[in-house]
Amino acid sequence: MFIDIDCTQQKKYDQNAYGDYFLSSRNKDTGKLAAVLSDGLGSGIKANILSCMTATMLLKFIEADADIQSVCEIVMNALPVCRVRKISYATFSAFDCNDEGFARIVEEGNPQFVWVREGEVMDAVARVVTSATFPNRHMQIYNIKLELGDRLIFCSDGVTQAGLGSPALKLGLRREGLIEFLLKKLQDQPDISSRDLAKLIVNCAKGNEVDKKARDDISAVSIYCRQPRESLIFTGPPYHADKDNACAYVFKRFTGKKAICGGTTANILARELHIPVEAQILTNAGSLPPVSKMKGVDLVTEGILTLTRACEYLEETEAVTHNDAAGQLVKFFLESDCINFMVGAKLNQAHYDPNMPIEIEIRKNIIKKIAKLLETKYIKTVNIKYI
Amino acid sequence: MNTITVKLCLGTACYVMGSSHLQDLVDIIPDRFGDRVVIAGHNCLNLCTSNGEHAESPYVKIDDEIISNATIEKVLDHIEKKL
Ligand code: FES
Repeated sequence: MFIDIDCTQQKKYDQNAYGDYFLSSRNKDTGKLAAVLSDGLGSGIKANILSCMTATMLLKFIEADADIQSVCEIVMNALPVCRVRKISYATFSAFDCNDEGFARIVEEGNPQFVWVREGEVMDAVARVVTSATFPNRHMQIYNIKLELGDRLIFCSDGVTQAGLGSPALKLGLRREGLIEFLLKKLQDQPDISSRDLAKLIVNCAKGNEVDKKARDDISAVSIYCRQPRESLIFTGPPYHADKDNACAYVFKRFTGKKAICGGTTANILARELHIPVEAQILTNAGSLPPVSKMKGVDLVTEGILTLTRACEYLEETEAVTHNDAAGQLVKFFLESDCINFMVGAKLNQAHYDPNMPIEIEIRKNIIKKIAKLLETKYIKTVNIKYI
Repeated sequence: MNTITVKLCLGTACYVMGSSHLQDLVDIIPDRFGDRVVIAGHNCLNLCTSNGEHAESPYVKIDDEIISNATIEKVLDHIEKKL
């Protein structure tokens, strides 16, 4: 089972910094996923510091499997005290889950999460623990077992209180409003990705605000348990040409989505598998070589320039969609959960000719960089095989 | 009437050495020659790695003829001569 997780945020309209903070990580060896959403007291930079500290500390402790109750005490004690309000405060929702679906959730102050299975909201029973140092703070601890198809939604109160005081929603959207919205969306789009669902929730919350101005920080985290979407990217000719045939058949037999990055690589596959590469569709748009077409392959692009550009796109903070070949490659990555690279180690001498007007990165390095981004920033599972 | 095929190499080496600008030919060629000349992009033509005679990207192939250090003018000249 693969857990697809993503978060969308919107900051309060008159602030420069986000007051909510989201962090997540996936352990490569155990497959354990950990995530924290924290909402700092107030808004702006002060809230940002409080929530960032809370999320960072909690994530580290959860990753290390520390006892959650003592962890929460440590975190609450560590926060700086607000001079105006004389309290230190950041609410949080912490989540971890192994790859069999056994999940632990701890909430303190955030709206209760929503658990949806087959179009219905599930009831989760909480064990309530009161903090020893802060008697007004209670932690809800849940242990649940997730099944394939289940979804969890965590959010900051910016979502449940959206529209507060407006004529239509005197008490804001509330958890009921959120649930209604969710069930409707899931009915329309049962396979929607976490990324898109989180975006929809934030837009819904923002849309309910008076003048569509976010009156508080709004964050939504979506979790979706599903069959992993596998993909394979073949890039670069194998080091020994006598491996060409074997590699081509590995590529052919792969059942998930497939991409080829590299003109020579595409030529090799065309030769070995007897599938013609169709002439590239010429366009004057963009500054990258265009994509080609090959039957049975989802995407065929040029190699190193496209990979380098795709890496830049992945580094960008705001996810914008680009239409060039690199943009299509990024889309290909983001629509997969488990990404396998077959990287040919042969160097193309022509790329290292001193007359080249630009410096061309070595394929291996750029793939490593992309893999790291996909793993850490986009929480994907990545495998690299050098051939 | 026989048609002429123009293959524009868009492999990495040729692309950075200038074939990216040659893509303008996609508009120029039909304007000037109509459907007597067909133009298409192509993956690495395997000329950039060979030494000797043709070691200068970007490359364009006009039917079987190889043009090295190709420019828009050079390509158009060749087509004119062939027609
Ligand atoms: S890139 Fe044009 S011949 Fe190799």
